[in-house]
Amino acid sequence: MSTAAQNFNGNLKKALAGIRRINLEGLRWRVFDAKGQVLGRLASHISTVVQGKDKPTYTPYREDGDMCIIINAKDISVTGRKMTDKFYRWHTGYIGHLKERSLKDEMAKDPTEVIRKAVLRMLPRNKLRDDRDLKLRIFPGNEHPFGDRALDPYIMPARQVREMRPRARRAMIRAQKKAEQQEQGSTTNARKGKKREEFESEISVR
Amino acid sequence: MTRIKRGYIARRRRTKIRLFASSFRGAHSRLTRTITQQKIRALVSAHRDRDKQKRNFRRLWITRINAVIRETGVSYSYSKLIHDLYKRELLLNRKILAQIAISNKNCLYMISNEIRKKVDSKEYTGII
Repeated sequence: MSTAAQNFNGNLKKALAGIRRINLEGLRWRVFDAKGQVLGRLASHISTVVQGKDKPTYTPYREDGDMCIIINAKDISVTGRKMTDKFYRWHTGYIGHLKERSLKDEMAKDPTEVIRKAVLRMLPRNKLRDDRDLKLRIFPGNEHPFGDRALDPYIMPARQVREMRPRARRAMIRAQKKAEQQEQGSTTNARKGKKREEFESEISVR
Repeated sequence: MTRIKRGYIARRRRTKIRLFASSFRGAHSRLTRTITQQKIRALVSAHRDRDKQKRNFRRLWITRINAVIRETGVSYSYSKLIHDLYKRELLLNRKILAQIAISNKNCLYMISNEIRKKVDSKEYTGII
């Protein structure tokens, strides 16, 4: 996180858009670091904070959530094959014009949109949704122009990573063994399909 | 038959209804027939929402208690708090818990820490 506002060389106007419309009295500025986080799980926590549901003075008709700054949006990760297989679809209104774009293309186009869509679609669809949208400030890199405010980092709770599925684990061990043997330079014919040796019990960290 | 005017009877009845709807918006406080309809709708809504009010407030208290309890850290939540309350036979209701949460957060933390402690020697005679 940078602390100098002058280092920010992104779109300053876009970052500060609409700040005057929000009543900033007594709101905290929470910073979420998206590096290495899973997309949906992070978005779930962000939406709770933006709604103000972590405060004891939560009122459903009044907008009282904290300002959320999300940095490193381009380093967000997804599990499975979602990078190529998750599609964002929309219909333009003309018949037959259902357009779609995959996650990979969306990240290439504008990585902040991915997180913004994820969070917005988790908020309740009511009149406060647009105001809550104004409170999300997402930045693809590490810098943001709000360094001179009192920032409050949000610590994500530890995630239970699921154990690898047997096929994927076997494939990973095969790849590891192959890499080891290529390092050693040995040309033994150890390229079997299924390994009969003991598996090292390891929990993978993706 | 002799001619009989209706007189002021209907007018007296309608003035009472008009008084009820005197703060409604637009035609709903000005036109007689609309006024009768809107009075009926208003009373129906009030009757139905008196019961919904009880539900809504309980939802609000639960949300507020949940918000404060999750700050205790680890994986503590409203559901676990209620389970512990029942286990220790503490009869505080959600309204009071929510008020404690707003006014004096530390008091709620003290209560929750106290009920979380495992008491092995106690015999569970009540509801579990």
